[in-house]
Amino acid sequence: MNFTSFPRVSINFETSHLVFPTLISILLGILLLAILATRWRAIWGALTTGPHWPAGIDHLRFFGTIALTVLYFLAMPQIGDLFPNEGYGFLIASIPFLFLMSLLYLHQRTRRYIVITAVNAVIAPTVVWYMLSTVFNLTLP
Amino acid sequence: MDFLSLITPLFLVLILCGTMIGIIFGAIPGMTATMAVAVCLPLTYSLGLENGLALLLGLYVGGISGGLVPAILLNIPGTPASIATTFDGYPMTQRGEGESALKVAIFASLFGGLFSLVVLYLFAPALADFAIQFSYVEKFLIIFLALTVMAALSSSMLIGIFSGVLGILVSLIGAYDVSRGGNGEYRLMFDFMEPYLSSGFSLLPVLIGVFALSSILIEAEAGVPENAGARKIALDQGKKFHLSVFSGQWKNLFRSASIGTFVGLLPGVGGSAASIMSYSQAKAFSKNPRSFGKGNPAGIIASETSNNGLTGGALIPLLSLGIPGDATTAILIGAFTLQGIQVGPLFIGDNLEIWNAMIVAMLFANVCMFAIMYFAIRHIAKIVTVPKYILLPIILMMCVVGSYTINYGIMFDVWTLLIFGLFGYLAYHIGLEIAPFVIGFILGPSAEIYFLKSLESFGTVSIFFTKSWIAVVLWVLIAISIGLSVWMSRSGARHHDET
Repeated sequence: MNFTSFPRVSINFETSHLVFPTLISILLGILLLAILATRWRAIWGALTTGPHWPAGIDHLRFFGTIALTVLYFLAMPQIGDLFPNEGYGFLIASIPFLFLMSLLYLHQRTRRYIVITAVNAVIAPTVVWYMLSTVFNLTLP
Repeated sequence: MDFLSLITPLFLVLILCGTMIGIIFGAIPGMTATMAVAVCLPLTYSLGLENGLALLLGLYVGGISGGLVPAILLNIPGTPASIATTFDGYPMTQRGEGESALKVAIFASLFGGLFSLVVLYLFAPALADFAIQFSYVEKFLIIFLALTVMAALSSSMLIGIFSGVLGILVSLIGAYDVSRGGNGEYRLMFDFMEPYLSSGFSLLPVLIGVFALSSILIEAEAGVPENAGARKIALDQGKKFHLSVFSGQWKNLFRSASIGTFVGLLPGVGGSAASIMSYSQAKAFSKNPRSFGKGNPAGIIASETSNNGLTGGALIPLLSLGIPGDATTAILIGAFTLQGIQVGPLFIGDNLEIWNAMIVAMLFANVCMFAIMYFAIRHIAKIVTVPKYILLPIILMMCVVGSYTINYGIMFDVWTLLIFGLFGYLAYHIGLEIAPFVIGFILGPSAEIYFLKSLESFGTVSIFFTKSWIAVVLWVLIAISIGLSVWMSRSGARHHDET
C-alpha cells in the first residue's frame, strides 16, 4: 500500500495479501504497548510475586488430561490406517481413552465405579461410532 | 406457505430432541449451549439445512434454558447466562421452594423466548432490507462497529479490543482467498505449514477448542469436583407454585425481555451481561429492593426472561448482517457454511422458506422447552447429579468427532482443537476475552476484503468517512461506543477507589 498523497492510496495487487496483516500487526503491537503502559504494575507484580501457575492445580488430572488427549490423537490415525474407511481407528482408540480419562477423573475408585466406567467406555464410543459412521455416514479416523 | 412442506415429522422430532439434549447440556454445570451446538454440529451434515437448523435451534433454546436448573438447585449457573438466577433462585431452594422457583424460571424463559422471537420476525427482514444498500465501505464499518461495541462491553476495553484484533490476526493465517478477490499468496506462516494451513484454521475446531476443550481443562485443573450438594435438594417443602406470582410482574417481564433481546443484538456481549443488567433494573425499579437476593421470584423472572430473550436477539445480526450476536450463533454460521449458504443481507430474501422454517423451529423449540421442563422438572433436576467422570470424557470424544468431520476427515483439524483448547485455557488465566477473540476470528477475513476492496475501488482513505450518510452514522455510533466504554471504565475505577 502506497500513500501517494494522503489520503490517496494505491494498492499493489501482487503484495496486497500483506497489507491488512501488517496493519493489524501494528495495531496489535500498539494495543500491547497500551496494555503494558496502563497495567505494568499489576503485570510486574504478578510476574515477580506468588506462584506463576494457578494455585491449587490438580497436577495429575490436568497434565493427565493433556497427555491422554495427545496419545489419543496420535493413536487414532495410526490404528485407522490399518482399517481404512471403517472408522475403527476412532472406535479402538476411544475405548481405552474413555476408560483411562474416567479413571483419572474418578474420586472414589471402588470396584462398582470402575465397572461403571468400563461399561461406559465400551458402550459410548460404540454407539457414537455406529450412529455416525453407519446411520449418518460420516468419515471417522 | 411453501415452507409448511419443510415441517415434516422429522423436523419436529429433531427440534424436540435438540431441545431435550440442550436442556441436559445446560443443566450440567460447566456445559453450555455453545458446547451443545458445537458437539452436535456434525450430526447436521447429512440432515439438510432445514432439519439441521431444527436440531441446532432446539439445542440453542434448550441449552440456554437448562442453565436455570443448577443455578436454582445448586447455586451454580449451568450456563453463564443464568448467573443472576442464582441470586434469588438458590435462597428459594434453601427455603424448600426449589420446585416453585424452577417453575417461575420456566415460565419466564418461555416469555423471554417468545418475545425475542416476535422481535426477530419483525426486525430481521427490515434490517436486512436496509443492509442491502451497504457497499464494502459500510460493511467494513459495520464490522468495525461490532468490534468496538463488543470491546466496549468487555470487562476492560483495552483487553477486549486486543482480544478481538488478535482474533482477526489469527484468522488471516493462510492464503489471501482467490475466490473472494485475493491474490492467493500465503502470509503469517512458514512454508512447511502450507499443506495444513493453506485455508487457515477451520472455524469449528477453533470454536470447539476455545469453548469446550478449554472448559474441560479448567475442570481438570480444579480436580473435576463433583456436585456434592446435589443429593440433598429439597424441591417442594415450602410454598407451592402458583401463577399469581406473576401478578404485577408484567413490566419486569417486558423490560427484561427487551434488555435480553437488545443485548443479543450486540455482538459478543453474551447472556451473563443480559442476566445481570435485567436483574439490576428489576431491583432498581422494585418497591422492595431489599428482598432481592433473599429469594424474591422477581429476580428469577428478570434473569430468566432476559437470557431467553437473547436467543432471538442474537439471531438478528446473524441473519440480516452476517455478524453473530453471541458465541452460539457464531457456531450456527458453521451450519450454514456446511450447506453452502452465506448469511448476510441477502439471506432472508433469497431463502424465504428456510427463514420461515427457522421461525417455526424457534417457536416449537420454546414450546418444547416449556413442556419438557415444566412437566418433567423433577427428573431434569436429577441431571445435575450425573457424574462428571462419565460426562467429560464423552464430551471430549464428541469434540474430536466434530473437529475431524468438519472437513470430511482432516487430522490437522483435531490438532487445531487441542491448540485452541490450550489457548482458551491460557486466555482464561491471563484474562484475555474469548468472545471478542472469536468474533474477530470469524469476521477477520471479511473485514480484510471489505477494507482492501474499498481502497482499491476508491483509492482514498477518506472514502470511509465520506461514502454516504450511513458511513457517517456508523462513525457516530463507533465514537459513542468508545466514549461510553471510556466513561464506564472511569466511573468504575472511581467507584472502586471510593469503596
